[in-house]
Amino acid sequence: MTATQDIAISVRDLKTFFYTNNRCNKALNGVSFDIKKGKTLCIVGESGCGKSVTAASIMQLLPTLSRIEEGQIIYHADRGDIPLHALEKNGRQMRRIRGAEIAMIFQDPMTALNPVYSVGFQIKESLKYHMKMVGRAAHEKAISLLKEMGIALPEKRVNDFPHRYSGGMRQRAMIAMAMACNPKVLIADEPTTALDVTIQAQIFELMDQLKREHGTGIMLITHDMGVVAELADDVAVMYMGNIVEAGTVDEVLRHPTHPYTKALLASVPVLGKGRNQDIKAIRGSTPDPLNRPKGCQFADRCDFATAQCQVMPEETHITPTHRVMCWRYKELVPNG
Amino acid sequence: MLTYIIRRVLILIPMAFVICFLVYLGLELTPGDAVSHMVNPDAAGSMDPAQLEALRQSLGLGQPFYVRFWAWFTNLLQGNFGYSMSGGVPISNIIATRLPATLELAAVALVFSTVVGSLLGVVSALKRGSKTDSVLTVIGMLGVSIPEFFFGLVAILVFALNLGWFPVGGRSMPGYVTLWDRLPHLVMPAMVLSIMLTAGVMRYARSSMLDALSRDFIKTARSKGLPEWRVYLLHGFRVALTPVVVLIGFRLPVLIGGSVIIEQVFQWPGIGNEFISAVRSQDYPVVMTIALLSVMAVLVASLIVDILTAVIDPRVRLGE
Repeated sequence: MTATQDIAISVRDLKTFFYTNNRCNKALNGVSFDIKKGKTLCIVGESGCGKSVTAASIMQLLPTLSRIEEGQIIYHADRGDIPLHALEKNGRQMRRIRGAEIAMIFQDPMTALNPVYSVGFQIKESLKYHMKMVGRAAHEKAISLLKEMGIALPEKRVNDFPHRYSGGMRQRAMIAMAMACNPKVLIADEPTTALDVTIQAQIFELMDQLKREHGTGIMLITHDMGVVAELADDVAVMYMGNIVEAGTVDEVLRHPTHPYTKALLASVPVLGKGRNQDIKAIRGSTPDPLNRPKGCQFADRCDFATAQCQVMPEETHITPTHRVMCWRYKELVPNG
Repeated sequence: MLTYIIRRVLILIPMAFVICFLVYLGLELTPGDAVSHMVNPDAAGSMDPAQLEALRQSLGLGQPFYVRFWAWFTNLLQGNFGYSMSGGVPISNIIATRLPATLELAAVALVFSTVVGSLLGVVSALKRGSKTDSVLTVIGMLGVSIPEFFFGLVAILVFALNLGWFPVGGRSMPGYVTLWDRLPHLVMPAMVLSIMLTAGVMRYARSSMLDALSRDFIKTARSKGLPEWRVYLLHGFRVALTPVVVLIGFRLPVLIGGSVIIEQVFQWPGIGNEFISAVRSQDYPVVMTIALLSVMAVLVASLIVDILTAVIDPRVRLGE
């Protein structure tokens, strides 16, 4: 395993449950992973598999009716390890970390910026609260951040309101805001879903650059396999609140072991193969989270399911970095 | 921003002109004319019609409608609203004595209901689903649905007659000089007048605040590590403010045009009270002038609302 000093955040056996109408939705059912400094961890999976809940758990931004039930989120700060899961939700300690050491950008930059404040104001808010930077200095810093994010005429743009920015520019502004205090970790929750493809590429390029230049650890939530192949150092595949397979990008994409990962990869259309290409959609649909199947959550949709799958498989390490949750993984390990 | 304001003011001018015209048309359509009010009906019967006609001509009533309108309109611009039919007092004098009383009442009610209404609305939204919220919601419903005069009568009965804390009505007594002397008179009408508006503002502020708090940028604000008060007030309330400002702005003319009922209940010597007595004595010029004032108040209020919303929400500043 990687040495501890390279890890920014380690999540161990995290369980986050939602309580609605007296029913309990086990949105995260024992999730473990590490976010490494200067590396990108991609979390992939279908809608509703718990990707965003994982991000919200780390940031302690969960909705009121949900809570972290079990498990640990340890943030390895320079000043020592901090158990994020034990901190008060909107307490002083959590707020000190949010935005300063762990920052987040969201899916839809159209709605994630406050429409009534200028972009500069919203960047300066972070600077004011975390770096005690106000006035002229903060203004200059905001301009230089926008400039670094590739926004033209930053001196002018800094005073503009979000509605005068295009979608891609808003996401750049969001990233500028998130990077304002040079955080150790950047959590990006589907940052390009709302943007068109050329802008997507630019935003990812920008994030990659930040990772290289600032050594920021990035946790990128996506359901775009192309993005994973492009950006990820490590990959975790989630399904119904579990990480079913995780490893380095090579291990997971080149040697997918879990039937779900395989099915997911087989369901991606390839550009240039023409319209007659064979896209294998995963049959069935995700189970109702309030009425889950017993054992392996994927069993009902899996081509390899056996009676044994009625019991939840343990996490097994194939290599020190590559782990999978499947009873039959050995038969499925691709040769070579 | 300045161009926006100038543009809005420029739009106002033709609108005001059209409204003046309509009001004058209304005056024209009322039965009789100045002469029929000046001359005692009994005497008119015995007078020579030619004499009456001569009087009409000498007053310029024989001139075409547009000429008379223009004369009336230019007088209006100089602050000359014409004369009351009962007593022949210049209407500008009536307005000058009545308007301050109404404005005093309106200002207190407006400030009180804005501050208290938004405060309670925000508290209600932040404590959504709690007991406080339910109680406030019920009180809000009652405040909006029970008519003002009822509250007025109850207030007089309880606080003036039974407890004797405040005077029953009126604005002033002989020997009163300062506002402080008059304050006891002001409390009840102002509070009763505020009830409905406060309840309205509260309900608006609550739903608007809830809406704002459910938006994505609240999560962004939290993710930046801002303290909760800043998330609620600077990011939530500021965005929630626009609909509240619109509501308050459009209540403004109602308050200025005379809180007719409240002034009646508390014998408040304001515009509303004057309006009632003018209607009773069929004093058309006074009625029309007050109507004109209310309409102008609507125009000015909508201008203020437009400017304020533009200040609060930059997306409104069109044509920048």
